[in-house]
Amino acid sequence: MARLTPGSIDEAQSLLAEGGRSVLFVGGETAIPPGPPVDLELSTGRLDRVVEYEPADQVITAECGVTLAQLQGELGKHGQRLALDPPQPEKATLGGIIASNAFGPLRTRYGSIRDLIIGISVIRADGTRAKGGGKVVKTVAGFDLPKLMCGSWGTLAFIATATFRVHPVPEATVTLRARGVDPMELVRKTRALQLEPAAMLAVREAAGWSVYLRFEGFGAGVRAQREKLKELEEAAWPEPAPPGGRVRFGALPSNVAQVAKALAPLGGRLEWLPTLGLGSVAQVAAGKDAVQGARGELMALGGWLVADGDLGPPPSSLALQRSVKQQMDPAGRLAPGRFLA
Amino acid sequence: MRQETPGATQAEHKESAGPLPAGLTARFALVVGDEYCIREPEQLRTYESDGLASFRVTPGVVVLPTTTEEVVGCVKLAHEAGLPIVARGSGTGLSGGALPVPGCVLIGLSRMRKILEVDFDNAFMRVQPGVINLDVSKHIGPQGWYYAPDPSSQSICSIGGNVAENSGGAHCLKYGFTVNHVLGVRMVLYDGRVVDLGGPVLDQPGYDLPGVVVGSEGLLGIVTEVVLRILRMPEATRTFFATFPSTTEAGNAVSAIIASGIVPAAIEMMDTLAIVAAKAATGVDWPEVGAALLMDVDGVAPECEHTSGVAVELAKKAGALEIRVPRDAAERELMWKGRKSAFAAVGRIARNYLVQDGVIPRSAIARVLTEIAELGQRYGLRVANVFHAGDGNLHPLVLFDGRDPAEEKKAEEMSGEILRICLRHGGSLTGEHGIGTDKAPYMPEMFTPQDLETMQLVRCAFDPGGRFNPGKVFPSPRLCGDKPGLYRPHPTELTGEAWRA
Repeated sequence: MARLTPGSIDEAQSLLAEGGRSVLFVGGETAIPPGPPVDLELSTGRLDRVVEYEPADQVITAECGVTLAQLQGELGKHGQRLALDPPQPEKATLGGIIASNAFGPLRTRYGSIRDLIIGISVIRADGTRAKGGGKVVKTVAGFDLPKLMCGSWGTLAFIATATFRVHPVPEATVTLRARGVDPMELVRKTRALQLEPAAMLAVREAAGWSVYLRFEGFGAGVRAQREKLKELEEAAWPEPAPPGGRVRFGALPSNVAQVAKALAPLGGRLEWLPTLGLGSVAQVAAGKDAVQGARGELMALGGWLVADGDLGPPPSSLALQRSVKQQMDPAGRLAPGRFLA
Repeated sequence: MRQETPGATQAEHKESAGPLPAGLTARFALVVGDEYCIREPEQLRTYESDGLASFRVTPGVVVLPTTTEEVVGCVKLAHEAGLPIVARGSGTGLSGGALPVPGCVLIGLSRMRKILEVDFDNAFMRVQPGVINLDVSKHIGPQGWYYAPDPSSQSICSIGGNVAENSGGAHCLKYGFTVNHVLGVRMVLYDGRVVDLGGPVLDQPGYDLPGVVVGSEGLLGIVTEVVLRILRMPEATRTFFATFPSTTEAGNAVSAIIASGIVPAAIEMMDTLAIVAAKAATGVDWPEVGAALLMDVDGVAPECEHTSGVAVELAKKAGALEIRVPRDAAERELMWKGRKSAFAAVGRIARNYLVQDGVIPRSAIARVLTEIAELGQRYGLRVANVFHAGDGNLHPLVLFDGRDPAEEKKAEEMSGEILRICLRHGGSLTGEHGIGTDKAPYMPEMFTPQDLETMQLVRCAFDPGGRFNPGKVFPSPRLCGDKPGLYRPHPTELTGEAWRA
């Protein structure tokens, strides 16, 4: 196996166009899907340029190897940010974030990378370069290739550059904490009060759930929302769980109690985005059987669980999913043995 | 897109391949019921165009199913008989996306209008595709919830059509488009297979196929159920209307408001001609000035007070002549009615007009409007501008008299030139109306052959025979498995299973 680090997108294109080899794309190595060895690891370490940034349009285009922290630094100079907070921003690259659909609690308000990406350029397995979307916040011309690439785990094409819609950095922020509450009850309460948390995160502790709410925006709005929940204490946002041993899952938000029960045997740190029904368990202590058991319980609720690159039983649309892969990468060279491939 | 006011009768691009054999249509009638299988030439003509009335094609047969099973039955029959399939919602589309293909089976989904499930805790609704956009919000309004995408045609357009076109609307600046609010779809594929993609549980393992299906303009399959994200209503909305000497000052006001960190819920601009038209049609008492902005901010009440106050100050600083704040909900509604009826209203001041739907970077608005005005002078045609200023989505309306074929030709040329201006400024061919039939010839000006070929791969994954909506979106349809280069008939063409439209 060789690892190559092209210095330009043209060089990356030439490497792919040579053909023959199986390839894995490597960014910040925060979310590499496990799988069999490949002939070539193509690192994006030197594709680290911001291509175009027009603050007045709130749109930025960057190469795939740019880290999230680097992008935020550039945007911060103009009081803007990408409204996305996945783990390890110093290491996580834009290409990797798109490919792995990485996100954090800000998804509560701003959605995931699919809701922020507006354009993409890719290199297909045979070296063909193609783009989709554009560099304006609104376009419906052609099929939505940017969204197809979100969460595609490097199995469809190499992500060369991407264009995002960005947001203003909020003027004020406050974090509140509710201890020992039912996350769904708190969600209902914020809705009844017409509050608009930018982020909401529930962390499972020995004494039950601790739910963190972050309000952002102009001072007047943040103060008013804080006042409406005056029984809650202000707190620091919790430190992110250390990476490693992570299990990801999804279920309906209202199933939170069953979800907590199903995942309890795994140990580790359980986090849950209570409005979205997405969560993770970090530092899973239990073995494969316990993970299988938890998956079974979640699936009975209509949910899913992914552990160590294992997606569990295939989705009912598998034939169609495979057909997309077959069209984009007929020789099966990209990320073989990973994701649905 | 060409619009005709009553009295104009000229129609172009008219095609017909005649009705299908009675033996065949009888089989469709068995699936959907005799009454809902439309075969009479007179009745078929009702379906010969969508909102883009200048293109007309009579379908071979029209079926109006009510269930997924009936759609499956129709698709299987069409597949066996080798007929093209075109899906249609309310027929309000402005790019000819639901224009029939000669001899096609047109599947009208307007009878599929059941709301199947509402779940407030999990913030979703499951609906059939024929449900009208506004009826979704009406259904959950009493509980204080709504569905965000609000195309101007929302009182008649269907959710299925919104999914096909990835419809936008004035309030998409803050809340996003249809694709940001569709969590999943149930879809009938070309051979009658039914797949569920996405759903109320987020991020289910697999590719983001709902993200690809939304906006695919009916080329991938027929959506028979949609899971929509619904939102709790914001605590407050503040609206204001500001007038300016010209679009330059209005454009500067938009830039200043956005630069201040405010994300308006909507910010709409109209120029003099659009104002005059809106007045004539809706009776709003707007002054006939150079430009006007209509803006909404929403959210928690104190934040709205703050942001609307700042926005008004910035508008004044940019040269606003007058600021009006609606006294009550009725007045606010009238202001928005004035804006949303602007397209149709232009019919009051011109015999015919073409609606354009280009997108430009917001910072280029003033320059582009100047270029469009110069173009109008050069062609000797009037242009009314009404558009979503916050996201740079322009809707220039080119006015002409269709009784003069030379003027009509000039209008069409000029409308195309406007798109080229948008592309030169780094914009897009369409922000919300879609490519459809109308703009397919322009696609190579925005996309390379490789871009288009890559999109076609997605199509081939879903519909290898090109059965759904052939001839739309792509300028030169390729059949799946084609090698680039000279045309050679594809094996499926020789067997009659597929053809190039």
